[in-house]
Amino acid sequence: MSQVTNETVIECLKTIKGPDLEGDIVSLGMVSPIMIDGGKVIFTITVPSDQTEKLEPMRLAAQRAVSELDGVTSTTVIFTAEHAGGSAPSSQRPTASANPPKAPTNSAARQANNSAPVPGIKSIVAVASGKGGVGKSTTSVNLAIALAKLGQKVGILDADIYGPSMPRLMGIKDQPTVNGKILTPLEGHGVKVMSMGFLVDEDTPMIWRGPMVISALTQMLREVAWGDLDVLVVDMPPGTGDAQLTMSQNVPLAGAVIVSTPQDIALIDARKGLNMFRKVDVPILGIIENMSTFICPKCGERSDIFGHGGAREEADKVGVPFLGEVPLHMEIRKNSDGGTPIAASAPDGPHAQVYAEIAQSIINSLDGAGFEGVAPSITFE
Amino acid sequence: MTDSNPNDTPKDIRVSKERGIMRLFYHDGTEGELSSEFLRISSPSAEVKGHGPGQEVPQIGKRNVLITNIEPVGRYAIRIIFSDGHDTGIFNWPYLRQLIDEKDTRWSDYLQDLNSKGLSRD
Repeated sequence: MSQVTNETVIECLKTIKGPDLEGDIVSLGMVSPIMIDGGKVIFTITVPSDQTEKLEPMRLAAQRAVSELDGVTSTTVIFTAEHAGGSAPSSQRPTASANPPKAPTNSAARQANNSAPVPGIKSIVAVASGKGGVGKSTTSVNLAIALAKLGQKVGILDADIYGPSMPRLMGIKDQPTVNGKILTPLEGHGVKVMSMGFLVDEDTPMIWRGPMVISALTQMLREVAWGDLDVLVVDMPPGTGDAQLTMSQNVPLAGAVIVSTPQDIALIDARKGLNMFRKVDVPILGIIENMSTFICPKCGERSDIFGHGGAREEADKVGVPFLGEVPLHMEIRKNSDGGTPIAASAPDGPHAQVYAEIAQSIINSLDGAGFEGVAPSITFE
Repeated sequence: MTDSNPNDTPKDIRVSKERGIMRLFYHDGTEGELSSEFLRISSPSAEVKGHGPGQEVPQIGKRNVLITNIEPVGRYAIRIIFSDGHDTGIFNWPYLRQLIDEKDTRWSDYLQDLNSKGLSRD
């Protein structure tokens, strides 16, 4: 491995076009002196403070180009803002750390609200329910693993800031490493994972108001080195509040999967979740009936503890696909809590099979439903 | 928010060079034109509409307001940032379509309202 030099970095940065695509960022005098420490490269790019958000792709391009140089182990590119007005420079956005992010001011929260697709992620799929306790997280995990087994590159984002369950469900106890302000996701069962649960102790409550949740979610989405992903599964918290709205506004979601038990009380909330996604133009990929029925392991008798078929009827009624039924089964629950989701621990069993079928139909509906063609083009003449 | 119709999603949004006109082109071939002043006074933001009927805040002196930037919001809307600093209006596709369809009546209502209150566009 060769030694990184100032010259090689400068040469490389000359390939990055400036704002307005004129000249390059080096000749425009936007790049600070380069700091090199072994394989670590750090520099800043100076931009007008009101353009930090617009120029984020430029920052990423510079970061990517330098990261690919021989001998570079990490690259940190920071925007410094020329103060043109009163807006906050983006370098003041909360940094990734185990500490709770600073509560953003109104304008900072809005600055973070950048609806550009996340680079490298083809489709983002939300798994939501409306009601809590219907098995969203278990479903998310098993779906993510089933998608990975079907050859997809998969990540899972635990958007439940108040009750993160991914560390336990995936059996991951490590902490993510921080590279500059970018968190490296953890990996389990072939799936990349990011959760608030990695950053705080399992018993520590997150006592946060909405803006903090919005800021944390934006960070977990955008300031995580997800790499190239075919699908990012987002395990949504219950309800239709800040977290759901942030996810709907921050990125063009490729689709949403609604999980419900067959019980009426759960279906009422599922309908709310479904209608929320409809209002923000997110396609509904379908409904999954969880805890669909119970087969007694001793006598084989079938008991429909929460009823049966309610979610299928609901799907028919509102005209969205019905994706499948997952039974209420001890093995699913036990493996979930034990950190060995059934799709990974018994991939050939009947339960994993159900998840595999649902995963396949999600892949089918995602084909051609990525970010392209979603949003209108916006042109300033 | 109204329920959306896929035909309401524009294909192309263009802002004129001097930033005073936004033109929308739709998949069905229709198009519409909205001035920055009209968009500004029609902002769906709570700062303009208030938090319920009857709480509307009259928007005055917006004649020279221009469009500074447009940001996509999810897949259902855009946020328009205006030159007077107003940036809390999220315009969803059905609302933009409605503004195009009801442009004339809404505009004359606005002028009348200003007039009756003795307020001005300048």
